[in-house]
Amino acid sequence: MQTRLHKVLRVEGLTGASYVLWLEGPFSAEIAPGQFAMLRTGSDWPVLLPRPFSYFDVSAAGTAASFFGKAIGPGTRALAAVRVGDEVSVSGPLGGGFPAPADGEPEPVCIAGGVGLAPFLLWTKQRATTVLYGGANREAIVAMESFPGQTTFHVATDDGSLGFHGNVLELYRSLVAAGEVDQRAPVYCCGPDPMMEAVAADCAERGVACRVSLETYMACGYGVCNGCSVAVEPAERFGGKPWARCCIHGPVFDAAELKW
Amino acid sequence: MRAGLLRTSLLPGLTLANPVLSASGCYNHGVEGARFGDVKRLGALVTKTVTPRPRAGNPPPRLWETSAGMLNSIGLENPGVERFLAEEMPRALELGPPVILNVGGESLEEFEQVTERVQDCGAVALEVNLSCPNVQGGQLPFATSPAACEEVVGRVRRVSRLPFFVKLSPNTHLVADVARAAASAGADGLTLINTLHGRGIDWRRRRPCLAEGSGGLSGPAIKPVALHFVALVRAAVRLPILGVGGIATAEDVCEFLVAGASAVQVGTAHFLDPLCGVHIVEELEELLVAEGESIDNLSSLEQ
Ligand SMILES: Cc1cc2nc3c(=O)[nH]c(=O)nc-3n(C[C@H](O)[C@H](O)[C@H](O)COP(=O)(O)OP(=O)(O)OC[C@H]3O[C@@H](n4cnc5c(N)ncnc54)[C@H](O)[C@@H]3O)c2cc1C
Ligand SMILES: Cc1cc2nc3c(=O)[nH]c(=O)nc-3n(C[C@H](O)[C@H](O)[C@H](O)COP(=O)(O)O)c2cc1C
Ligand code: FES
Repeated sequence: MQTRLHKVLRVEGLTGASYVLWLEGPFSAEIAPGQFAMLRTGSDWPVLLPRPFSYFDVSAAGTAASFFGKAIGPGTRALAAVRVGDEVSVSGPLGGGFPAPADGEPEPVCIAGGVGLAPFLLWTKQRATTVLYGGANREAIVAMESFPGQTTFHVATDDGSLGFHGNVLELYRSLVAAGEVDQRAPVYCCGPDPMMEAVAADCAERGVACRVSLETYMACGYGVCNGCSVAVEPAERFGGKPWARCCIHGPVFDAAELKW
Repeated sequence: MRAGLLRTSLLPGLTLANPVLSASGCYNHGVEGARFGDVKRLGALVTKTVTPRPRAGNPPPRLWETSAGMLNSIGLENPGVERFLAEEMPRALELGPPVILNVGGESLEEFEQVTERVQDCGAVALEVNLSCPNVQGGQLPFATSPAACEEVVGRVRRVSRLPFFVKLSPNTHLVADVARAAASAGADGLTLINTLHGRGIDWRRRRPCLAEGSGGLSGPAIKPVALHFVALVRAAVRLPILGVGGIATAEDVCEFLVAGASAVQVGTAHFLDPLCGVHIVEELEELLVAEGESIDNLSSLEQ
């Protein structure tokens, strides 16, 4: 883990207030899909606390890394507004990522909503994967061109302006019904809470394993403030408590561990 | 750099390499920060409050960011003293800096019990937390009444061979009286301040931003309040003070030392930079050399 300033190499503005921010290394080359970092601008940071971002891409040997963001508030807007040569403070890698499937288990299918796409680029660089990607409209469906060719995308938009007309859970159900997605395949999911909750409930009903990456509000991101608690079924892994710390025990959880 | 420039004599028999400590509940037990780099240079580690029995803490959301600060309502989540001593204290001791162990409770008996239990755990001193605003309905029974403070500190004194600091609350107009009560009951030092009562409101949803309703305010926003109470208590009581509240730079440290603190603690700033305390130590050394100042010049009980 490291905490340091990184030079901005490039900011790619995308539609729907989204962006990809490229920073100069060194970064760890061992970053797992689903791990995150705490970011803030090196100067003129408009708020107090840093903001959690999943690593989007990490170049070979960690010479550069990117983050995929959406400007929704002061922190994410300030990060969208940096210029080449500015500095961004990054602490990471933090938390645990999505686990590799066990031997003989089918390949997981990834379900992403909005910037919830972020953790899956690193995953698809390791394995040929089907990604279901949902958003409000065509403008919200961005960054797919960053993914390797071995990725199979299925897109859903709420207004039908691109791909399947409906939400990403409905898309998933229809692909399973059509036999295009293995109905036993574990589901890896990242997106808004209500979406993940609905996906997790659907998986639970059908007895399919589901892992979710939570976007809980955080202060420190590295386990010292105890502020990022999420309700869980008490287990030894959580010290027997009814709460887990999202930043340390997560952000990726087995959906069955969580009390939604 | 001059060796020993930052040496801080805190209590008779307790000298620290420098006056920059971690604040309770903001650095856990140091182990997480140590994953980012060397934390040996911290003057001391102050551990998160431990209570006789495990506490699950309050329901989420427990955090709310405010202008230049944040509200928390963690609610003293901790594994209880037995598990803490078995699993966490040994790891804290391995890190290098002396450990000041912070204890809490909800009754006289609990304070006595936990103090007795931790006497031989390797801590160089204790910090007795009378001032968490996130338990007992925010009533702060021991930090707002001089008589109650005197009673609990007296009970702790009777069972403690270790020196101890009493951590006080800014949420009373009686801070100086409570500080005098702590001193007369045998406290070795005082820590000022714990968080201020505060509340965020989500007006659209007609509800508070924290699940508990109210919480404790920390961060740069409270630095002037902390400086004020350090100076106020300094004038009232001749005990060493650990100053805490909004400290993020070496300049902040100097302000607290001049206000009357013997050493300081870094809390919320550790959320922005996991090595903030260590960085402040380095900065402080450079600052004092550059300005021809010394710790003794800034802070002295005889001032
Ligand atoms: C592990 C993790 C990974 C993430 N990865 C990414 C990523 O890759 N890309 C990306 O764009 N975003 C990501 N996020 C989300 C991102 O961190 C937030 O969008 C960001 O913190 C918002 O900051 P802001 O200052 O822009 O907005 P803010 O104004 O801080 O908040 C925006 C919204 O969050 C709400 N909010 C604020 N405080 C709380 C609270 N205490 N509890 C609940 N809601 C609150 C506000 O009401 C508002 O609607 C991730 C979050 C986590 C935890
Ligand atoms: C998230 C959080 C948890 C805290 N937990 C404790 C605690 O367990 N015991 C304690 O004595 N003080 C606790 N405090 C108070 C701090 O130690 C400190 O007194 C206060 O935050 C002011 O300092 P700061 O502005 O540097 O954070 C906590 C503060 C925060 C922000
Ligand atoms: S964000 Fe601080 S403990 Fe998780």
